[in-house]
Amino acid sequence: MTRLRQVFENAAIPIIAVLLGLLVSALFVLFSGNDPIQTYQRLFCEGFGPRGCETFSDLVIFRAAPEDNPEAVQTFFAPFYGGGGHPLSVVIERTTILILTALSATVAFQAGLFSIGMDGQLVLGALTAAFFGYWLPGQIYALTGVADPDAAPEAMKTIMHFFVPLVCISLAMGVGAIYSWIAGYLKVKLNVNELISTIILNALAVRFVHYMVNNPLRADTTNTARTVRIDDTAWLIPFNRALLPDVEWFSGSRVGVGILMAIIAAFAIGFYLWRTTAGYEQRMTRGSGLFARFAGVASQRAALRAMLISGALSGLAGAIQILGVERRLVDGFASAGIGFDGVLVAVLARESIVGILIVGLFFAGLEQGAINLQFGNVPRQLGGIIIAFIILLNSMEDFFRRTFTRIRLKLRPPPARKATSEVKAT
Amino acid sequence: MPNAIEMRQIRKYFESTGVVACDNVDLSVTKGEIHALVGENGAGKTTLMSILYGLVSPDSGEILVNEKPAHISHPNDAIRAGIGMVHQHFKLVPNFTIAENIMLGIEPNQMGFINSGTEAAAVRKLSESFGLPVNPNLRVSEISVGMQQRVEILKALQRNAQVLILDEPTAVLTPQEVHELYNVIRKLAENGRTILLITHKLLEVKDVANRVSVMRRGQMIGTHNVADVTIRDMARMMVGREVILQVEKQPAQPGEVVLKVENLLVAGTGGVPAVKGVDLEVRAGEILGVAGVSGNGQSELVEAITGLRTADAGQITYRGRDITRSTVRDRRNMGMAHIPEDRMVVGLNLRTNLDENVVVTRYREAPYSKNGIFNRKPIRELAQRIVDAFQVKSARVGEGIATLSGGNLQKIVLGRELNGSPKLVIINQPTRGLDVGSIEFVHKTLVAARDAGAAILLISVELEEIFSLSDRIAVMFDGHINGVLAREDANEQDVGLLMAGGSLESEKVAVS
Repeated sequence: MTRLRQVFENAAIPIIAVLLGLLVSALFVLFSGNDPIQTYQRLFCEGFGPRGCETFSDLVIFRAAPEDNPEAVQTFFAPFYGGGGHPLSVVIERTTILILTALSATVAFQAGLFSIGMDGQLVLGALTAAFFGYWLPGQIYALTGVADPDAAPEAMKTIMHFFVPLVCISLAMGVGAIYSWIAGYLKVKLNVNELISTIILNALAVRFVHYMVNNPLRADTTNTARTVRIDDTAWLIPFNRALLPDVEWFSGSRVGVGILMAIIAAFAIGFYLWRTTAGYEQRMTRGSGLFARFAGVASQRAALRAMLISGALSGLAGAIQILGVERRLVDGFASAGIGFDGVLVAVLARESIVGILIVGLFFAGLEQGAINLQFGNVPRQLGGIIIAFIILLNSMEDFFRRTFTRIRLKLRPPPARKATSEVKAT
Repeated sequence: MPNAIEMRQIRKYFESTGVVACDNVDLSVTKGEIHALVGENGAGKTTLMSILYGLVSPDSGEILVNEKPAHISHPNDAIRAGIGMVHQHFKLVPNFTIAENIMLGIEPNQMGFINSGTEAAAVRKLSESFGLPVNPNLRVSEISVGMQQRVEILKALQRNAQVLILDEPTAVLTPQEVHELYNVIRKLAENGRTILLITHKLLEVKDVANRVSVMRRGQMIGTHNVADVTIRDMARMMVGREVILQVEKQPAQPGEVVLKVENLLVAGTGGVPAVKGVDLEVRAGEILGVAGVSGNGQSELVEAITGLRTADAGQITYRGRDITRSTVRDRRNMGMAHIPEDRMVVGLNLRTNLDENVVVTRYREAPYSKNGIFNRKPIRELAQRIVDAFQVKSARVGEGIATLSGGNLQKIVLGRELNGSPKLVIINQPTRGLDVGSIEFVHKTLVAARDAGAAILLISVELEEIFSLSDRIAVMFDGHINGVLAREDANEQDVGLLMAGGSLESEKVAVS
């Protein structure tokens, strides 16, 4: 009973935080001179609804008629309705990054390390993937004497389609891991606060990528500096180009195997944390460093291992963004801070794996919805504002728990205790 | 004499734990008496006192101060009513001077400007009038624990406390400091102040209190004149059954030397030598008790033997093998068990469940894990075995342990460490903070482990415990072993002398 209640409360707090966050943000919408209900209707439709979504009810049940037969109105379950590409499929591009960076944050948090170095690891991973994405195929073509990549033999291209992204992703994960390991090493050996060191490492990485894109790796003299586009063989081809070209739902989206990798990573990390001795070691180190040492757990090794895994996940996020979505590194990518929102997802999801998948999709939808929103003079930042309020309210955890207890006691007063027999002194 | 305090039908239910901490409790305290309130952990005595001091609001019941109803819903109300409380964990500002701490919040000032000279003078006057000398200008961070407690008492007196609640005041004190505290308490009572002493040490009650009230599981069992009851009576009232205070054990059958420590030197925190050349040996089937006032190098000795702290010099030999440089894990794998002083942070991880706590010393071994992947069933079985064998009440396999009592937590640690018959058990302050019933259990368990052939190194600041468990007694003073006595040759006077740094006639000392 108590356990059931705990599970319920743990899930209830983020949900209440979300609802209250939307409520508080509505005041801002009102302040900007817009109708909050209409604004939210549009926001959620843009973020989560099918094409043509107008009202909250369209988010669940959507009615549409084929163009050639306006009379034949059909009802669809909105999230699956693919009338010319579902906006959710675009949202999943961003969800992929959020899930992976949230996992990255979770692994570090679960070792008792408050690392927020996801951003730095992500941009370095992205840079690595962007560079090897064109350099490696170039080297292969040069070595095999293929002058025109388009004319390369099909068999060779097929092999490269597996081999090149694999190498790029592995290298990006390695770079992210090493970069994260630096902060872990500083923490373990010199007791440097990992929060501060990762903030500094983030700034360094962003500057470094900015320099690399503007100078050594700059492809052309366009106004915005950018790297050379990755070779087609390095491309993580979107579902609508390969694998599922006929599924309407995906049209217009660059979502591909990246999201599958993110979901696999989520389950792998869940398994690692809760089912393996290595994950156990890092969690025990977090619970009490003294306890871990007392029992003979190699806690320093566990902490470093956590940082390596955390960095690799962020590096993977960067690689997927480049190889699957952007296909080149454009100046400004690094300074956008896209790696940081993963920390927020991890916090709201209470470091639970299933929670991360849900919250990741939700946040991505809010942000994407606000960007797509062309309504009144509602700012594009509305998504960010709502998320900020949700996180703020979520941190009022103790207040919510006390309130739950008070309500529960009102509903069910405490039992009286049976009198115990008295023992008289003799 | 009139009643200084009367509490009637006090009831308090804690929602978070579902416990009725006080079940219609009555308590009356006569003016000018030293009144002890005893009970096992979780009996409700601290809750009752927190209600009196306004820290916890009762669900029902009333409080009378000086025979008049008083409404106390905040410590400020309690202070106004003349009630002061000294908590078990002191609430002082370490960076402030004694005077600043005593005057905190009631500083004598002129238009908001504080004159430290006036403060110090006022504190000096206060301390002289009660015969509790302090140097008002010392920082709290620089003074001993006993002195900090005195500052807390003065702080309450400065606020004109007529009734002083002392929550487990001797838990952190050395024997000498305890003695001094008793004198202070008696002096205050002579001055007409009323003392309410929360404790679970019955010897203390006998030493200092006039009357004693016993609580058990949220109920008031009774109030008696201390002169009319024996310790055994009080223990029975507290626990609700007959308690064996003396451990029954057969003479030891010592076997081979399991642990040998030679000329061990260990630096304490901050690099100051804490263990300065210790020699000792423990044989299979015996309990070697290390007595001593806390802070004489015992913790560092334990940490060096168990591998948590590096020895600077000397040698530690375990069953003939030099383990001076071995890791904690190696030592544990060789059959060394360690029950640490702090079970809440070191011995257990309260943030996780029972299963993960009991498997921590052997999670890498089959059947608990294979190729780095856990096997849940054997772990659950292990947890269930420990819960059953050690009668860990209210602990459930797969559930958290954070709400368990100290006694139950210690049983989990014991169960885990003694599982798999260790060859050497190192146990530091095994019963600190435990109630009488749990102490009895822990002692019986240790003797059983000894009889099963384990070598046991027991470190305790409780002389009673040392005497009732040990087969040989080593006394530690200032980082040295100041003498080793066979149990039958030892008496409290000699051990006390060695604890204070003195020495005995040569023929009595049996050097190891």
